[in-house]
Order: sequence, then C-alpha cells, then structure tokens
Amino acid sequence: MNRRQFLKTSAGILATPALTRLAGAQEGPFRVKYYPVTPGMGSRDTAPAPDGTIWFCGQRNGALGRLDPRDGSFKQVDLGKGAAPHGVIIGPDGAPWVTEGGQNAIARVDPGDHKVTLFRLPEKEAYANLNTAVFDKSGIFWFTGQSGIYGRLDPKSGDMTMFKSPRGRGTYGITITPKGDIWYASLAGNHIAKIDPVTGNATVVEPPTPNQGARRVWSDSRGRIWVSEWNSGNVSMHDPADGSWKAWKLPGSNPRTYAVYVDDKDKVWLTDFSANAIVRFDPLTEKFNAFPSDKAGANVRQVNGRPGEVWGGESGNDRLVVIQTVAPA
Amino acid sequence: MRWFAFLLLLPMLASGSVRAEEDGARLFTPCRACHSLDPVERGLPGPNLAGVVGRAIGGDPAFDYSPVLRKARDDGLRWDVARLQTFLADPAAMFPGLWMSMRGIEDAAERQALVRFLANPASR
Repeated sequence: MNRRQFLKTSAGILATPALTRLAGAQEGPFRVKYYPVTPGMGSRDTAPAPDGTIWFCGQRNGALGRLDPRDGSFKQVDLGKGAAPHGVIIGPDGAPWVTEGGQNAIARVDPGDHKVTLFRLPEKEAYANLNTAVFDKSGIFWFTGQSGIYGRLDPKSGDMTMFKSPRGRGTYGITITPKGDIWYASLAGNHIAKIDPVTGNATVVEPPTPNQGARRVWSDSRGRIWVSEWNSGNVSMHDPADGSWKAWKLPGSNPRTYAVYVDDKDKVWLTDFSANAIVRFDPLTEKFNAFPSDKAGANVRQVNGRPGEVWGGESGNDRLVVIQTVAPA
Repeated sequence: MRWFAFLLLLPMLASGSVRAEEDGARLFTPCRACHSLDPVERGLPGPNLAGVVGRAIGGDPAFDYSPVLRKARDDGLRWDVARLQTFLADPAAMFPGLWMSMRGIEDAAERQALVRFLANPASR
C-alpha cells in the first residue's frame, strides 16, 4: 500500500486521553471508557483483534481505523475512492475483513502492512448495499447486502457466489452458532433466516411480533439466536432446537433496538437509539441495565467484544466506547 | 442554419435527459433497501419519499424520525432542491445524530440527478 494511504493520527489526537467514567447504579462495577477518533469519520462497526487493537469502520470517510486501547492512539487505512465501510470482522488469518459498500466489494486489510485487497461483487449485483459478515468453520466468508442478497466468498480462490434473499430487500445482520449454523436478519423483511451452507438456500423463520424489524442477530453459546428488533423495540430469542421464541421490550418509552451482541457469559448487549444507550440484558434474571452515553446522538450501530470488554462505535460522536465487564488485571 | 444546428442537437439533448433519468434511478437503487417512492408502500425502515421535494422535513406522518429530524420539522424546515442536494453531500453533517447512516455522494452531478429523480412524480 502507498504510504500516503496510511494516515497516521496527529500528535494531538495521540495525546488525547481516553475519557473514563464509572457507570452508576448498575448490576456490576462496569467501567465505561470513550476513545475519540477522527471527527466526521462516522465510526461504527468494531472488531477486536488478537493483538489487542480494535478495528473499526469509518463509514463517512471511507477508512478502516485501528485503535490501540492501551494509549488511545489510532491509525486509519484508506480503503479506496468512494469507500463506505459498514462492517468488519476478524478472519481466521487474523486480518480484518470488511463489507465495503462504497466500492461494492469485500475488502481484506493486511494487519502487517495495511495493504488493501478488494474482492468485487459481480456486475449484476452492482448495488448490493453490503452490510455484515461472518466466517464459517471452513473459512468461507458469508455476507449480506441490504438490497436483498447474501453471498459467500472463498478467500483462498476468490470465488464468490451470490444468492437472492427469499423475501427481497432488507438482508442485514448475520451470525454463526457454535455448531456452525448461519443465520441472518431481514430488517425490511421482518424475519430471520437460516442459510444452508451447502445449497446456499435460506429458510425463513418468522418472529412472533409482526413487523418487528429484525435488524441484527447474534448466537449465544447454546446456539440460540438473539434478535434486535428495531420497529418493536424488543430483544427476542429464537431457540432452533425447539422452534420457540421469547421477546422482551427494552425499558423506556418507544425503544429502538438497533444492535445485539452476546458476550462470553451469555449476557446480551443491545443498543437503544431512543435511550441513547447501550443496554445489558441478563437472560437469567430478565433484567435490563442501561449505560446511556454521556453525549447526545451516540448512535451505536453494532456491538462486539471479547472476554471482559464490550465494544461499540459511537457513529454520531466519532468515538469508540468500551464497557469493561470485569476489573482489569 | 441555427435551426438546423438545434435539430441536430435535439437527439443529443434527449439522450442526455434520458441518461440523467437513468442515473437518478440507478443512484436511488441502494436507497430502496429502506425507502419507497410508491406513495402507498409503508412500513419500511425509512420514510416514504413520494413527494419529498417541497414537503416538511420529517414529513411522513407514518414514520418515527430521529430526534434531529423531528426538531427540523418543529423548526418548520422543508425539503427543497438545494437543501436536498446539500443533505446528500453529507447527511450527518447537516443533521448530526441522524439515525440514517450513509456516506454522502461526492459528485455534484450525481446528487443533482438523484434529486431530479426524487422530484419527478412519475419516479417509482
């Protein structure tokens, strides 16, 4: 990659300390920290990397960021002209893989030299509106496009196959269960669906709440699918083992549930745009704890994490936020 | 002679207009994931955009807008061609905290084509 593409942060930003505060009246001694990044970046989806850094998408400026939480410094990798990265995940190769909607491509960024490799979608899917991705257990990259497609990419051969979502537009969040099953959510289609990785066919499963706006999905350790329902303001849970559903309304008036993530303790983390908060849900006690942002309009569009940490990108404030769920050693 | 030149130009002008229309329709393709221009189509993740040019910001009565757009509506702001073009260049710059998430359209000609498409009552 051209060195000019690799934009180092200014000394001023490097010197910016992470802002820390203790969340009051919560179930545990959770510590909330904020990391400012480049203004106007639109910092959104995050992915914790094996080396401790956090990759994050700058949808507004077309960059993939890399934060070092140890000192708050960050770097940016320019993904190309017109780039608008939406989602990022870490591949089996340790590299960040990006659903890069601006160039209608899957982007791999080398974690060493930050070289960008693009896997462009076929011309007939020129406006896929790429959204989110997961790797399956055999190393195939599965991704969604909000125009109503999903696809698979073999990173070794570069072969890409596209599939039409059975009910058209809306294909959004995607997740993989510990067993290896792949599920996605359809925001405009108001359902979730399971993909057969062999045939590529998707089977629709209807949540019990009509027009719920299933936006994102995440599996827990038992393979149950947790769903953030944008329209209904619910978090719901589908157990494929018995076909059952449960749903809980988030607290407050008119909640808007955007993102869902299940941590290593099977606690469920959500974001609520109405409350401007990250919200923790304990499936055992069925209680919610809210962590409102200290700035208006945070708009955390995705939650991710690693043991002891829950991460989000405040896309409206150009900051990353971490909630430490265990005291740092 | 001038008439002759004009007649020669006509097909070019017409094809330019068709191209602009096609550009607008093409540029609207990714927006269709959340928006519709069919006035009867409701319940999508974004507001219905039929008749958006000229109406109040936050003006789809069936849609629950972000706080920043509700405020714009309460302030009496309306969508006109110029404001829409500025908005599409960087939506979050005009309305910080907007719930909709997209990178702006850098090319002014593309923004104009998209707004022309939105302003055309025949567009679907």
